[in-house]
Amino acid sequence: MAPKKITIQAARFDPEHDERPRMQSYEIPFSDDSMVVLDGLNYIKAHVDGSLSYRWSCRMGICGSCGMMVNGTPKLTCNAFLRDYWPRPVVVEPLNNFPVIRDLVIDMDDFMHKLQSVKPWIIRKEEMPLGAAEHIQTTSQIDDFRQFSQCINCMLCYAACPVYGLNNEFLGPAATALARRYNLDSRDQGLKQRLPVIASSEGIWECSFVGECSVVCPKGVDPAKAIQQTKLDTTMRFVLPYGNRDPEPPRQLEAEEA
Amino acid sequence: MTGEAIPSPHKGEGKGEGSSTRVYRRPVPAGWWARRSHYFWYIVREFTALPMALWLLWLLIDIRSAAVRPVNFHPQTSIAFVAFSVVCLAFALYHSFTFLSLAGVIIHVKVLDRPVPSRLIVLSQFALWAVASIVIGFVLIWFAR
Repeated sequence: MAPKKITIQAARFDPEHDERPRMQSYEIPFSDDSMVVLDGLNYIKAHVDGSLSYRWSCRMGICGSCGMMVNGTPKLTCNAFLRDYWPRPVVVEPLNNFPVIRDLVIDMDDFMHKLQSVKPWIIRKEEMPLGAAEHIQTTSQIDDFRQFSQCINCMLCYAACPVYGLNNEFLGPAATALARRYNLDSRDQGLKQRLPVIASSEGIWECSFVGECSVVCPKGVDPAKAIQQTKLDTTMRFVLPYGNRDPEPPRQLEAEEA
Repeated sequence: MTGEAIPSPHKGEGKGEGSSTRVYRRPVPAGWWARRSHYFWYIVREFTALPMALWLLWLLIDIRSAAVRPVNFHPQTSIAFVAFSVVCLAFALYHSFTFLSLAGVIIHVKVLDRPVPSRLIVLSQFALWAVASIVIGFVLIWFAR
């Protein structure tokens, strides 16, 4: 019996020679049902065409590097099984809504700037030396933000968001979800530093709730929920008389008490 | 793919991969909303606001006519207007459904340190909607008698 094969059509773009991307077809052995699209690309790179460029790293859905459009849907290629497409061809393109640098590699600078702008780290009004105290956090408080902390910055949500596609100024789903993750963290006191970015016209208010960002997220994060919840919170802060007060500082356990 | 290759904004700035000579920026096609069912229903949701706004505008004009010349006022009873009103009612119900379903997503309430399930929040919203509709309907019928 002839070995099973599958066709992968990959977008190719050489910035020094091509005016626009073109599609190139590769027929590769589909020997194992556990093969994913990334395995197919790696086979092409190793055995067929070493010039094919794409990003990847961990192969286990952790690093978020291998996001591409697979048959028109943003997916982690390490998590897209060839068996789900066979015997039809698999069309692999760079993520939508981002400039293409080469082949399947996109320019992620815009996302990195936006991510940095929301300060996705714990901000304290007064930093204390390590070991001086610990910040108590209950399971219930962790549950408030746990979902949003699963984001791996794979940018699939940006590729799925038509609002970002039409207006690159939009802060976007992942950056807002991570801002919310830290705003909900009982240890954080940086809400007022993030508000000017997330509550700007290019922030949450640009989102018209298409909802596709939450559909394509490979880690089950719900960025659309984060954005809508932030809209509600921001409105409450504006409307309610006590809305602009500082959030209640978290309880601290002094080292000597511990 | 259609679009244009443009000079990289980081040319010569030494910002890693973005420093290549050109990048290719793909435009969003005009028919993007027809590519996925989610996009399609989003556009339907947004579009339904337009006929509803027209219907409400018509209602305001009717109310003013009834207030200024109550004797000569004749409400629209043409088949076309009734059909348009039925379509607007369907759009309004769809809008209400999407809005009330959204409540389960955005409202985050805790009781005894446990989050209230989204389904319960959505069901309570629909229950309130039904009660409000019955009360308003009853009041309108009462005053019309």
